[in-house]
Amino acid sequence: MRAAQQRWVPLAAAVAAATLLVAWTPASDNAAGSDTTAPPTGDTSTDPAELGDVTLTVWDQEVRGGQNDQIEALNSAFTEAYPNITIDRVSRSTDDLRTTLRLALSGDDAPDVVQANNSRSEMGQYVGAGLLVPLDEYAEAYGWFDRFPESVRALASYSDDGAVFGEGQLYGLPQMGEIVGLFYNKTKLDELGIEPPATTDEFAAAVEAAQAAGETPVQFGNSEAWPGIHQYGFVQNQFVDAESIRDLGFGRPGSSWTSEENLSAAEAIVSWADSGVFAEGFSGVDYDTAWQNFAQGDGVFFVGGTWLVADLTDAMGDEVGFVLTPAGASGQNLVTGGISIPWAIPANSENADAAAAYIDFITNSEAMTIVTEAGNLPVVDAGAQQVEGLQAEVFTAWAEAGEADLLVPYLDYATETFYDTITVAVQDLLAGERSPQEFLEHLESEYTAATGS
Amino acid sequence: MTETGRRRAPPGEPRKLGYLYILPAVVVFVAFIGVPLCRSVSLSLYEWDGLGDKVWVGLANYREVFTDPELRGAFAHALVLVVFYAVIPVVLGTLIAATMMRARRMRGLGVFRVLIFLPQVVPMVVVAIAWRQIYQPDGSLNSLLRLVGLDRFARPWLGDYTWALPSVGLVGTWVSTGLCFVLALAGMTKIPRELYEAARLDGAGPVREFFAITLPAIRGEVAVALTLTVIAALKTFDLVYVMTGGGPGTETTVPSYQVFRHAFQLGRVGTAAALALVLTAIVFVVTLAINRIGGSRESR
Amino acid sequence: MISRPERLFNYAILALFAAVALYPVALILRTALQPDQIGDSGGLHVSNFAAAWDEGHFSSYMRTSVVVAALVVGLATTLSILAGYAFGTMSFPGSEVIFYVMLLGIMIPAEALVVPLYFDLRSLGLTDSLVAIVMPQVAQSTAFGTFWMRAYFRTSSREVVEAARLDGAGHWRTLWSVLVPMGRPAITTMVVLVFMWTWNEFLIPLVMATSEELRTAPLGLAFFQGRYTSGTALLAAGAALVAVPVVAVYIFLQRHFIRGMVEGAVK
Repeated sequence: MRAAQQRWVPLAAAVAAATLLVAWTPASDNAAGSDTTAPPTGDTSTDPAELGDVTLTVWDQEVRGGQNDQIEALNSAFTEAYPNITIDRVSRSTDDLRTTLRLALSGDDAPDVVQANNSRSEMGQYVGAGLLVPLDEYAEAYGWFDRFPESVRALASYSDDGAVFGEGQLYGLPQMGEIVGLFYNKTKLDELGIEPPATTDEFAAAVEAAQAAGETPVQFGNSEAWPGIHQYGFVQNQFVDAESIRDLGFGRPGSSWTSEENLSAAEAIVSWADSGVFAEGFSGVDYDTAWQNFAQGDGVFFVGGTWLVADLTDAMGDEVGFVLTPAGASGQNLVTGGISIPWAIPANSENADAAAAYIDFITNSEAMTIVTEAGNLPVVDAGAQQVEGLQAEVFTAWAEAGEADLLVPYLDYATETFYDTITVAVQDLLAGERSPQEFLEHLESEYTAATGS
Repeated sequence: MTETGRRRAPPGEPRKLGYLYILPAVVVFVAFIGVPLCRSVSLSLYEWDGLGDKVWVGLANYREVFTDPELRGAFAHALVLVVFYAVIPVVLGTLIAATMMRARRMRGLGVFRVLIFLPQVVPMVVVAIAWRQIYQPDGSLNSLLRLVGLDRFARPWLGDYTWALPSVGLVGTWVSTGLCFVLALAGMTKIPRELYEAARLDGAGPVREFFAITLPAIRGEVAVALTLTVIAALKTFDLVYVMTGGGPGTETTVPSYQVFRHAFQLGRVGTAAALALVLTAIVFVVTLAINRIGGSRESR
Repeated sequence: MISRPERLFNYAILALFAAVALYPVALILRTALQPDQIGDSGGLHVSNFAAAWDEGHFSSYMRTSVVVAALVVGLATTLSILAGYAFGTMSFPGSEVIFYVMLLGIMIPAEALVVPLYFDLRSLGLTDSLVAIVMPQVAQSTAFGTFWMRAYFRTSSREVVEAARLDGAGHWRTLWSVLVPMGRPAITTMVVLVFMWTWNEFLIPLVMATSEELRTAPLGLAFFQGRYTSGTALLAAGAALVAVPVVAVYIFLQRHFIRGMVEGAVK
């Protein structure tokens, strides 16, 4: 049917061209928050009861034993105190929350309260795109400036464009403190006749003794890649001084990844991996299996964070202890940590006032006690709590870290993409895919590119 | 088919009736496949973080896809997966079907078929969780190796830089072989017995029979099997997301995983779009190639 | 006739094949029945399924999966029957071209569609809605379904159609009263395949659904894996729960599943 074909060919072509034209035009689809970005000025209502019926959607990553317990307890207390507010809680693992938060913040139906990691790749980017509500007004109204020390608040503060970390307005408020220290199996150390190590030499001796006795010295599982950051930090803290680590960790110019001390650290961790200091097959074991193995008696030491305290106490009772990182060439018991993932308010949320009230509720002094009772480490008021056993050891370590200024940041804070870079790089290093020198140079190139130093 | 489905319409039937019938389907197709595809092309020419403003970069994203070692690696990994998802299962499925060719009237064949085909039906997430357990350092695979005295082969499969990708591939083999077997067997049972009897009279052994009669006869089925499994290999996402997250390092990243990561986690939408389009092009080319060689006229 | 040893050999191979195919599934079931917390007693812990159902919010996820599957299957089937009927029995200018273009739609990976779709739907405020999850899948399933139904309609007997026409049935009646009932096996196969693909779909819900109510079962399972930090039994129980519906449909209608994949070859 030639005639028919000749008729529809130009028609089809026109339709195709029109579609392409329409599809081509890149619509300006900015996702920046709507005009509700501006926090309420003047009299900020701090009484949730006045807010009428509200449903608060809360996204958190408090899935581990102790953390889940305290959030559940606090949520019931909150809804009991303010029956006009219903809480719709969505809890997810840290990884899954990271994956889904970005998409959620930029949508119209954003949650009301979220936990947003204060690193540059997350909070920094969200702030830069205007996706989070600046909290200074609420801080004034609720008195957070007095209650939370500068060191805590700085860790969740960004300049308005998200470029400067540690200064500017407050964008998140943490509930708990965190440090990554050394858990040890008391029974096993006693059997080996060793004291919990306080220096690198003592630690090396303990490891040797463990290996001689056929025990796994350090339980470890790095299949998810992020535990590698903590493990590496644990080693780095023994060799490199605090100032340098802070520069490298926060992405501030002035230090170098390729220094002698850093090289010693990288070489040390490689020798550990090669000489069987870590659990067998650690590259294929995930974090939770690893700490559970430790809890079941496989491993003398476990480098982990205080978020495990509740679970470990449940599983091991009095058998487990906690100390800060052994002191090595760095001269101090530097410890990686700071605050738990802070609570923030999405700009696209419609219930910012209620959200702020919720955040205040879960961080006030009663809340800190509930946090403690569930086996966790509160970010402030730790000294006022009653604790025993493993938790007491953790609190002592935390107090010491605060007083002697031993806290150094998580290494992935450095740049917007450092989380991806360092997780992969540490896996490469431990598998022998990169030499210590190559590893450090790889990190250095991104560090210098970002800091211009 | 010589007639293109043309039937005499009864008198009075509007000619354009066909258009009305296909209209809903075409509208949905254009809106949710056609337009997004064009928009993908458009997005791939910009650099965009999904939140702010777009920046025109022309073909820079495509250049990146072809030069960035991490992105190139993803395609290389996809190629490896094609071997595991498609080549091995087709070969295995065909061989096993060949040995059973004469078992057309076996009792219970149906039951076996149901079980063998099962891996195709189970959601990939469940498959990933099951196999993740099997690959654990203290999981079934290592236990099996230790049981038969092959201790030194036991290793942390999903954490091993050399073996992680083949491990992922093996899962694909497990998923696909049943399908290939069923397809091959279906094709083989249609081959007339007389051909084999004639060949046997000529003195042909089983191997010759296989290559001269069986294989050519099931060309259509093999082409379909290859097409389905190759596309499955290139589109792998769920398995990597749930089982390895692309690790260790970047050893098991695949193109679709990289698309997701770049678009929704790294904030590099332009690169993601370019990646997705390159992947689409590869799927098209491969499917066409298979079906050209396979000899069937319609690509599935 | 095949000899006894050969028959045994065949059975052995089939048994081995089936065992390998079943092993991971059996492993999941076995793990699901093991004690959950470290240090619990042994025995069959059937309660794990109930526990996983609660903790993992699977009632919500399953409900969403059912709704999504019903919508996708319903819409895709209807659209495919209509379009397949037209392509298979009517001739109109451009039908070949349009059909082949739609066929190409089957080959386009979801990644190429989901990225722009997400951002465009976000500007329209439609992300995190059933539309966003259902419609892309309808489009892809319709591409396959149209191909499938066209093949069926092309082979439907001319005599039956002409008899219906002579009886005075118009095209619409012919379709729904005559051809569709006759085509039940073909349609069932299509329904079953689309159901399986939709139930198992992971990427589209992952991107489009941000609120819990809209997450489908496979997605819920993946997140449960991350959330569930103290053991594997509950996770395995959850996995079993997610797989049960589609496996159950498969076992009851397996003829259709297998036929669907196999006969695609002929067409």
